Amino acid sequence: MAKNENNGWNDFDIGALLFSFDKETKNIATTLQEDRPYSNSNSFTASVADWRVMKPVFNKEFCIDCQFCWIYCPDMSIISRDKKMIGIDMDHCKGCGICVEVCPTNPKSLLMYDEHLEDEEALIAAWPAKEEK
Amino acid sequence: MSEIKKIKNLKEFSTSADRFEGANLLCPGCAHSIIVREILNATNDDLILGSSTGCLEVCTAVYPYTSWDNSWIHIGFENSSTAIAGAEAMHKAKKRKGTLISDRDPKFVAFGGDGSTYDIGFQWISGCFERGHDMMYVCLDNEVYANTGGQRSSATPIGSSTVTTPAGSHSYGEKKDKKDMLSIMAAHNAPYVAQVAPNKWKDMIKKIQTGFATEGPVYINAMSACTTEWKFDPADTIAVSDLATDSLVFPLYEIINGTELNITYRPKNIVPVKDYLGAQGRFKHLFKPENAHVLDEWQKRTDAKWDLLQRREEARV
Amino acid sequence: MADKIDLLDIEVWDGNMAASQAMRQAQIDVVAAYPITPSTPVVQNYSTFLANNQIDGEFVMVESEHAAMSGCVGASAAGGRVATATSSQGFALMCEVLYQASGMRLPIVMHVVNRALAAPLNVNGDHSDMYLGRDSGWIQADAFNAQEAYDLGLMAFKISEDHKVRLPMMIHQDGFMTSHTAQGVKTLSDDVAYNFIGEFKPMNAMLDLDRPATHGVQTEEDYHYEFKARQHHDLMTFAKAKTQEVFDEFETLTGRKYSMIQEYDMEGADIAIVCMGTSVETARLVATDMRTKGIKAGVIGIRIIRPWPFEEIKEALKDVKAVAALDRSSPNGALGMLYNELAGCLLQNAKPSILSNYVYGLGGRDLTKDNIKQVFTELKANADTGKLTTPTQQWISLNGEALNFF
Repeated sequence: MAKNENNGWNDFDIGALLFSFDKETKNIATTLQEDRPYSNSNSFTASVADWRVMKPVFNKEFCIDCQFCWIYCPDMSIISRDKKMIGIDMDHCKGCGICVEVCPTNPKSLLMYDEHLEDEEALIAAWPAKEEK
Repeated sequence: MSEIKKIKNLKEFSTSADRFEGANLLCPGCAHSIIVREILNATNDDLILGSSTGCLEVCTAVYPYTSWDNSWIHIGFENSSTAIAGAEAMHKAKKRKGTLISDRDPKFVAFGGDGSTYDIGFQWISGCFERGHDMMYVCLDNEVYANTGGQRSSATPIGSSTVTTPAGSHSYGEKKDKKDMLSIMAAHNAPYVAQVAPNKWKDMIKKIQTGFATEGPVYINAMSACTTEWKFDPADTIAVSDLATDSLVFPLYEIINGTELNITYRPKNIVPVKDYLGAQGRFKHLFKPENAHVLDEWQKRTDAKWDLLQRREEARV
Repeated sequence: MADKIDLLDIEVWDGNMAASQAMRQAQIDVVAAYPITPSTPVVQNYSTFLANNQIDGEFVMVESEHAAMSGCVGASAAGGRVATATSSQGFALMCEVLYQASGMRLPIVMHVVNRALAAPLNVNGDHSDMYLGRDSGWIQADAFNAQEAYDLGLMAFKISEDHKVRLPMMIHQDGFMTSHTAQGVKTLSDDVAYNFIGEFKPMNAMLDLDRPATHGVQTEEDYHYEFKARQHHDLMTFAKAKTQEVFDEFETLTGRKYSMIQEYDMEGADIAIVCMGTSVETARLVATDMRTKGIKAGVIGIRIIRPWPFEEIKEALKDVKAVAALDRSSPNGALGMLYNELAGCLLQNAKPSILSNYVYGLGGRDLTKDNIKQVFTELKANADTGKLTTPTQQWISLNGEALNFF
């Protein structure tokens, strides 16, 4: 499970086997990600942030914690704890925009912006107003 | 029998700890991932998982990374079903002999795309179901060989333009309707067969939990909207999925013990099939005047299938 | 608990029963198998054991040989003792998965009852299927008779399951000539046999739920080459060393001696036949006759085909003047596999033997003592004149005009 491409043939585990965790894990289904002993072979430790052209920005002010974004996120990138949406995992978000599409609030609590716009506070400050229907 | 995880509502469901990990290589907006998440999160049991060669497999286990937090196996294009059946047999044997390493009973789940399921792996799945292994087989049905660039499979529906059935001056694309895999699996007398869609998460969780609680082989056909090959914007995966279920192109139903058919979702407002087709690039050519008959045929077939399902539900056959 | 069987010290078994009994005594956890002539009786015997409570494990009767090997791979990755049996077309069908079993480093044991490959369809013995498997990364052992099918059938688990080895292993036997010919087989009691093999020790098991493992990943140009090299290395070093170690232990237990190559009448031999399967015994009889006539003839039977016993063969043939490689598989456009591989060995000897190739026995065509005598006679002419006196490749007992291309 070495990551160095220059490693020799005898540096790898037989059978190209990969272990998800470094230590024994009991009840992984009820262990939150922050408490898991991820191995460096687990893709959780990798990033696809450079795939993004657009990125979602989260505005907590309008969020009703419906969890639509959580369930429909294909990349496990909506971080919900204790039934509350608390943020986006920007290492794993590929910028598909599903979370924005399924967000039911008005105005939306998530909006897509160009990846290179870094000042999120400014984006939130300029958040669009409620749309009249 | 292990306890069924309590999922009253989405808020409660959102406390689940995902066992499928990010930074996998699936396309942005891929429904495969949404389906896998919903299935894995439907239970707290340990899982032994398998995938046939296909998008899910090549995007989640490329050395040196795995996106799986449970044991997982891939052999080839056709045999995730039998690989998992072999693992299930091993568990059974070791449990009887008292030589299990872990004292918990895992669930056994095999994934395959529609190419693996409807085409190349069909025989292997049939064998597993005839033998009655205690396992779940999930077909991630995106109606095309997406991993290899969009060739038709026997799940490709009529009128779909694929790279091997391209629409052209003398063709409207795929000529045949897709294979009715659910009926075929029900005809194996499988104790539980169901069609699911990730946008209808509650219906899906209920079916997956029923499947896990069922002894014997369970077949799940999961509609998986493919942003790349169906040709829609990645952000629209759920919107397109809604059109699929609400136009009844993908009706949601279950078949228990081969005969008891229950429709599990009846759209309040049934949308015209052409709305579903129009949302996808693969059907774009059908909206040319010369292909109007295919649109009519689509609506006719969808109505007929829905009618048949309702009659089967009533007749319990 | 499975019931034991009280075996006689010597049972009259055919090769299939010998293989089945070795499988039963190994207390296999999962057998996934599909019947095919001539290995069908292995599957049938195993079913009978199951029906009579002589087996505790699972017997998965799959719908094809591809599924048989797929089930074996899944079961083996789950973590337990696994075996199967097949022949010919079935072997060809499972070929894809053979490579996956070895690449995933899974210790599966398989009895291969050798049979010809169609077309034309043929149910009889030759080595076409054995040759088809030679690049698959499995350890390949060849039993020349039922006794050896039994002995190797026990030893295979011990070799294959060793944690440094973790490579699948085939035990070959000739279709019908071995598989269906009843012979006296010296047995071990169930307890002695099982204790010799030992309990299965899991490694990287999927069923080790606290240590989830991903099996069967994809590697591309950045890693694939190194994994193949690692596998080759382990086959050449660990598998070979372990095989010899197990052969030695088995000899201590039973007095029956096995080695990488089996040499018969090779002391001071001028001429030698190298072959496999039942032909070894036929050739031995003729060599003994030759010796009584003052002709220094010997026989080498290849016991371990993979890893190829390069050094052992080099050494055994270093003073032999003329050697015949007998290939029981259609060469289809080349010299036979044995010829080519022996040529590689001989090339490094100071005085390479004169090497000739004989194709024989395809689809069950008999190889008689007279045929062998003819080969030895030709070898003697080669040895006496110091050059090849025949075409490089000949076809034994072929009706019609002789075929000579090399």
